Amino acid sequence: MIPIEAVIGFGLIIFTIGLAGVLVRKNLVIMLMSLELLLNGVNIILAGLGRHLNSPRGSIFALFVIINAVSEAAVGFALVLAYFRHRKSYDTDSLNDLKG
Amino acid sequence: MITLAVFIFFAVLAVVAALLVVVQKNAMHSVLYLAFTVLATAGVFFALQAEYLGAIQILVYGGGIVVLYIFVIIIVNLKEIVPERRGLVPKLFLVGVPVLLCAEVVTLVMRTGFPSAPSGPEGSGFREMAEMLFASYLLPFEAASILLLAVLIGAIVVARRRHIDDPD
Amino acid sequence: MFALIPLFPLLGAAVNGIVGIRYFSRRAVGVTAVGAAGLSFAASIAAFAGLLRSAEPVLVKTLFTWVPASLIRTAGGTTIPFALDLTFRYDSLAAVMTLVVTGVGLLIHIYSVGYMSHDRSYARFFAYLNLFTFAMLVLVLGANLAVMFIGWEGVGLCSYLLIGFWFTKDSAADAGKKAFITNRVGDFGFLLGTGLLLFALGTIDTAGITAAVEGGMLAKGTATAAALLLFLGATGKSAQIPLYTWLPDAMEGPTPVSALIHAATMVTAGVYMVARLHALFSLSGTAMAVVALTGAFTAVYAATMGFVQTDIKRVLAYSTISQIGYMFIGLGVGAYAAGIFHLMTHAFFKSLLFLAAGSVIHALSGEQDMRRMGGLRKRIPRTYFVFLVGALAISGLPGLSGFFSKDEILASAFASGNYLVWGLGLAGAGMTAFYMFRLIFLTFFGEERFSGETAHHLHESPPVMLVPLQILALLAVVGGYVGLPRILGGGAWFGRFLETSTGAHESHLAAGTEVLLMAVSVAVAAVAIFAAWTIYVKRKGEPARRFTERFRALHRTVARKYYVDEAYNRIFVGGVFVAARVADWIDRRVIDGLVDGAAALARGASRLSILFDEGVVDGAVNGVGRVHLAASSLLRRLQTGFVYNYALAVVLGVALVITLVIVVL
Repeated sequence: MIPIEAVIGFGLIIFTIGLAGVLVRKNLVIMLMSLELLLNGVNIILAGLGRHLNSPRGSIFALFVIINAVSEAAVGFALVLAYFRHRKSYDTDSLNDLKG
Repeated sequence: MITLAVFIFFAVLAVVAALLVVVQKNAMHSVLYLAFTVLATAGVFFALQAEYLGAIQILVYGGGIVVLYIFVIIIVNLKEIVPERRGLVPKLFLVGVPVLLCAEVVTLVMRTGFPSAPSGPEGSGFREMAEMLFASYLLPFEAASILLLAVLIGAIVVARRRHIDDPD
Repeated sequence: MFALIPLFPLLGAAVNGIVGIRYFSRRAVGVTAVGAAGLSFAASIAAFAGLLRSAEPVLVKTLFTWVPASLIRTAGGTTIPFALDLTFRYDSLAAVMTLVVTGVGLLIHIYSVGYMSHDRSYARFFAYLNLFTFAMLVLVLGANLAVMFIGWEGVGLCSYLLIGFWFTKDSAADAGKKAFITNRVGDFGFLLGTGLLLFALGTIDTAGITAAVEGGMLAKGTATAAALLLFLGATGKSAQIPLYTWLPDAMEGPTPVSALIHAATMVTAGVYMVARLHALFSLSGTAMAVVALTGAFTAVYAATMGFVQTDIKRVLAYSTISQIGYMFIGLGVGAYAAGIFHLMTHAFFKSLLFLAAGSVIHALSGEQDMRRMGGLRKRIPRTYFVFLVGALAISGLPGLSGFFSKDEILASAFASGNYLVWGLGLAGAGMTAFYMFRLIFLTFFGEERFSGETAHHLHESPPVMLVPLQILALLAVVGGYVGLPRILGGGAWFGRFLETSTGAHESHLAAGTEVLLMAVSVAVAAVAIFAAWTIYVKRKGEPARRFTERFRALHRTVARKYYVDEAYNRIFVGGVFVAARVADWIDRRVIDGLVDGAAALARGASRLSILFDEGVVDGAVNGVGRVHLAASSLLRRLQTGFVYNYALAVVLGVALVITLVIVVL
């Protein structure tokens, strides 16, 4: 039997790594990958809790998270492509059109 | 005992691979480690007896999303390495914030504790999951399918090749 | 049955907004929108008849469970189950409100068919108008504060969309934003009040709140705090001091919108909400006094600004603020039914006045400035007639609707022993009569001051606009007789009908006193009308000009709306600027290292003090623009445009919230 604390700790570590990646990296594609890590961390915790409570809800929620991850990746890539066509770069330092 | 060993093996693998994803200079290397992370996570899911989730993880993540990343990197510029213009102090700060967040969540979790499984366990096999997904969660499920359709259309519209002179 | 009332406008909005906007002809759009409003009105009448026949004074319909039951911890430390349903409740108060909203709404829909006939975005307009009707109906039918809040926000959104309907015009877009943001301040109070009640009582169902309050479960201090917070919400939506500044600017919207949203219905939402929670307000003497005094001061204060406006719609806007002040006087002295009665009659005569003003503007090809009107009495006699009826009703001519409702409020204020409120109310009544007739004399009497070309195009409005006006004029005349006081041989039927929702309110005035009070207010109104006639007709505005010459500073102050807009800009925009400066400083220091910190601090402080210096020294008018510029150029820097800075802000916010949770719990 896997202790639930270990699963949550593992999920949190993956989550933290992903969050740090989003914040630190300036490469747009790597930032998107870090976002996937974030979602993975959450999924691990959901699966662990589903196992712990002996309920299928954990897997079901994780499934919905995966669906969202797919959507996010698809839209994210579309934006990256559209942006890249414009600027010929995916460096976020040149991505500051919102600057006031 | 064996499941625990399997769990630890895949968990360590996933954490190491995840770290490598974040620190790579070249995006293509990152993708390879991302594939590692994803597959190791799938192993964790199997260890947790969430077989369905593990299968989905391999199919959707490993087969779909990772390949999509590779395509995108090839289409945009594989060779470009984005310089990380940032000093050490800001970098440490930016790593510190997620670590702080993590510590806070750990504090909260430790303080709350875990309820033991409810008296009437629902079971977490395929059958239970399928019954619940297509009964109680039918509406979210259908909503998710509409979301995917919207994403499909949205992604095409956004990524479509446009000419600068053409307002459409 | 009554749950159908909001359904039709929602369907109308959906059809016109999704399909109609692209594929419908103008005719189809009009038929859809007016049909939706008409069906909704028919459903209201049917529901009203059902309520009269029914033995139950309150009908409840639960549509679905919104938030499933869960345990919450209340103020007493006890844990109780709490569930939230999407529930509609239909009682006498809701019946009156739905009839007013759908009835006046239907007439305004019909009028708009004519008024907006030349507009490009015809379908968009009607989709918004239907959506507004829907939101307003949700607001009045909502059985708990959460459902009410859906409507509350919905009407705010529609108000924003409709004020900024001609969004290509900068002033209209700005006015929309101003209305939305000002309302947001009030909404925050509403939310806090709701949260406080939830925490203190464990329920936000309006009937549950009433029962709990009457059961003595609420401490007086808590009741005062909750009532004042909710009243802050009411001041935002109902344009009372201090959050009234958005309403005059809201006149940038199309005139039917001004009539429906910014005169007849939405702005009375605050009045409705206070009446709905009358038990809570009644418990706290402080809150009641605040409500009554706010209403009284607003009534007089807004009326003074009505004296000097030259834009016909702005006069009416200030008049609306002033009249809503009356409603709050009624609520504040405990005469809830009187407040709602005035709400209803006001909906009739004020939407009449607005629509008639729209008819004048329409006739003059868009001219709104009264200095370029005059002599229209003979040119557009039908519009003149209905306008006159509306003005007489609002001035309180005996026998018309405004007379009964206003006198009931003033009598209740007098009976409550709060003579300051009564005196202010009486003064406001006289001022109302004066500026309304100033408007009439400037617009319809005297010489024609418009250009020859405008005169050439001058025309009476088409029947589709005139018929709603005539119906509203009829209502403005007879609408008061449902509440004919006992002293005049009536049965005060309106008040008794509302007793099931707002409680009984017996006036303990002697019959003689009541008649005397009526006579006094009629006399005041008559004197004011005579004064307006003397100044603007007999002596052709000469005394007004002389007065302006003599008291130039006073006139300028009032005409510039007491500089309140400027002060708000200074205080709030300036405050944001200081906050932005601080945030900017933190951003730079933490992210970019610690090198320039000390220097930046010194620079920031000195720049702040310079700005403060200049702002204070340069005086009221000159500083405004500069503060704006400085604030925006500094605020600008907060928006670095870099995605990781935004991400960091989100993460820091989450960390802050979790820290709070850890520390507090």
